[in-house]
Amino acid sequence: MSTQDPADPGPSPDPGDPTVQLPTATGLAGPAVQPLLELEGVSRVYGEEVEIYALSDVSLQIMPGEFMSIVGPSGSGKSTMLGLLGVLDLPTSGTVRIAGQDVSALDDPKRSRLRGQSIGFVFQQFHLIPHLSALGNVETALLYRDIRPRERRQRAFEALDQLGLGARADHRPVQMSGGEQQRVALARAIVTEPLMILADEPTGALDSANAAHVLEIFAGLGTPERAVVMVTHDPTVADTALRKVSMRDGRIVADERRVA
Amino acid sequence: MSATRDLVGVAWTGLMARKVRTLLILLGPIIGVASMVGAVGLTESAKGALQVQLATLGTNLIIAQAGGTFGSQNPTLPGDAVRRVDSVSSVTSAAATTNLSGVISVPVQGASTYYEAFPVPVRAADDSLPSVLQVRLIDGRWLDSADRVLHLRSVVLGSGIAKQYGYLPGETRTIRLNNTNFGVVGVLGKVPLDPTLDNAAFVTQWAAQHVFDTNGKPNELYIRTKDGTTAATATVLATAINLGGPDQVSTQVPSNVLAAQAQANKTLQKVALFAGLLVLTVGGLGIANVMSISVIQRSSEIGIRRAVGHSRSKIGAQFLLESLFVGVLGGVLGALIGIAVVYLVSSLEHWVVEIGYGQIPIWMGLALLVSVIAGLYPSIRAARLEPLETLRLG
Repeated sequence: MSTQDPADPGPSPDPGDPTVQLPTATGLAGPAVQPLLELEGVSRVYGEEVEIYALSDVSLQIMPGEFMSIVGPSGSGKSTMLGLLGVLDLPTSGTVRIAGQDVSALDDPKRSRLRGQSIGFVFQQFHLIPHLSALGNVETALLYRDIRPRERRQRAFEALDQLGLGARADHRPVQMSGGEQQRVALARAIVTEPLMILADEPTGALDSANAAHVLEIFAGLGTPERAVVMVTHDPTVADTALRKVSMRDGRIVADERRVA
Repeated sequence: MSATRDLVGVAWTGLMARKVRTLLILLGPIIGVASMVGAVGLTESAKGALQVQLATLGTNLIIAQAGGTFGSQNPTLPGDAVRRVDSVSSVTSAAATTNLSGVISVPVQGASTYYEAFPVPVRAADDSLPSVLQVRLIDGRWLDSADRVLHLRSVVLGSGIAKQYGYLPGETRTIRLNNTNFGVVGVLGKVPLDPTLDNAAFVTQWAAQHVFDTNGKPNELYIRTKDGTTAATATVLATAINLGGPDQVSTQVPSNVLAAQAQANKTLQKVALFAGLLVLTVGGLGIANVMSISVIQRSSEIGIRRAVGHSRSKIGAQFLLESLFVGVLGGVLGALIGIAVVYLVSSLEHWVVEIGYGQIPIWMGLALLVSVIAGLYPSIRAARLEPLETLRLG
């Protein structure tokens, strides 16, 4: 699956993300920029006898380079939104496209690969695997991708080092503070060089100092090709983003942009 | 290939992260395989010494006995039976013995009452008997031509009788046979192929005829044959001995009985194997149980793995591989423990270790099969977990 020349397997300069099979964001450069992620008339219904619309007829486009937040009170449908944006769930009706690809048309292995390659998750509860070291947790995101263990470790270590955790690579989650754990989770999200970082209440379990630090990192994660999306109920967190999508009762009620 | 390598790494790390839990579920296959290897090994080893002994004794000894006709009290073989047997080309050596019924052997004065009630069999024997039996003398010497020619009243004791009489090696001992004194000149070693000889006292053919007034006709012949001809020789011996005469002859190959004894107790083995199988099955239930709980405990891990792009089948394979490792590891450890137990017990009991190494892969394969089957359900559950539910978003 590597895009590297098979005749030249040596450690030549890495031509970008070797794992991405889809059209990469860089490959999309041109006058008509394609949305990274697109929701078109999406509804998500739970329950069979009594139907509950968690999301009804939502349309949304996320463009490369965007730093946005999705905000709303609990029950507004933002968790459902997160599941659909992260391809952890499928819509009952409507279409979800990632880089133009309809996710409902894919089988589980392909959808899983698409998820792993295009989306980096950050969760409120960090969700690190407790029996693995920080390095092992970051490496988890690089498994089953035809990467040699040595290279996998190298890339995982670089991601940790980038977030100032190089010295703690061998530590288990229990040996680290909440802020450190969230940075490990961030390293895990960025190590695959995804098209989109999708964060669920990334500061929800942190004290204000750590929260500010993590938000700062978030703001810096965006690149011209990559979008950063935070789902939160906290208006102050939401306000740090350049685009704010507000939700209520399973619908988008506002979509505001501000200039940095 | 690399996906398999990654999978093996993930499954192994998962197992090693919970060592106590892993050890507990390993116990099923370990005990199951160990008990099966041990059961077969111990029952075989217990008989192994007998098999080795059988090999040294040889399986080419035939005992020919006078069958007698109805009503005859003490059936005999023709007087020249040994010569007749020697004429059979496959016979290498032969020796005769004669039962001297009515001869009472008394080891010490005043003990006659007991020995009259429980008489020790006294037999007249040829000079060649020990060499035909391939048995050494524990003490002293066997009867020889000097005893016959010089009319010495010599007696050799069977090993059992020597013990019963309290005979000490090298002791000068006189015992009484029908009120005639006989000097003990030796003690015959144990005769595993015919234990009746251990409980007999032996005198010369001269003594039989002249001291106890018998006709000198033998009752029993011990015959060695060329290797591989034993069974065939045994069938023709009767005719060779009686040459169509009225004497009934029956032959037996005593090593056959010993060989049957030397067979491991198959029933015991089956029971033990069944018990091992039971342990393995119960162990399998244990694996299924613990793995199912483990899937629930690790639901968050499963959710994370799904979120970072591991497919359902990879998650299922990860858990199935953990069960498979349990089967392999349990099988190997169980086999090693089983072998160690067989060696330990055999050295304590002075047995000759006999382990059917050919069977061990079967038990190990069985442990593997049970473990994989036990892991199927938890693996399917793990694969079916919805990441959205396990990650508790929002």
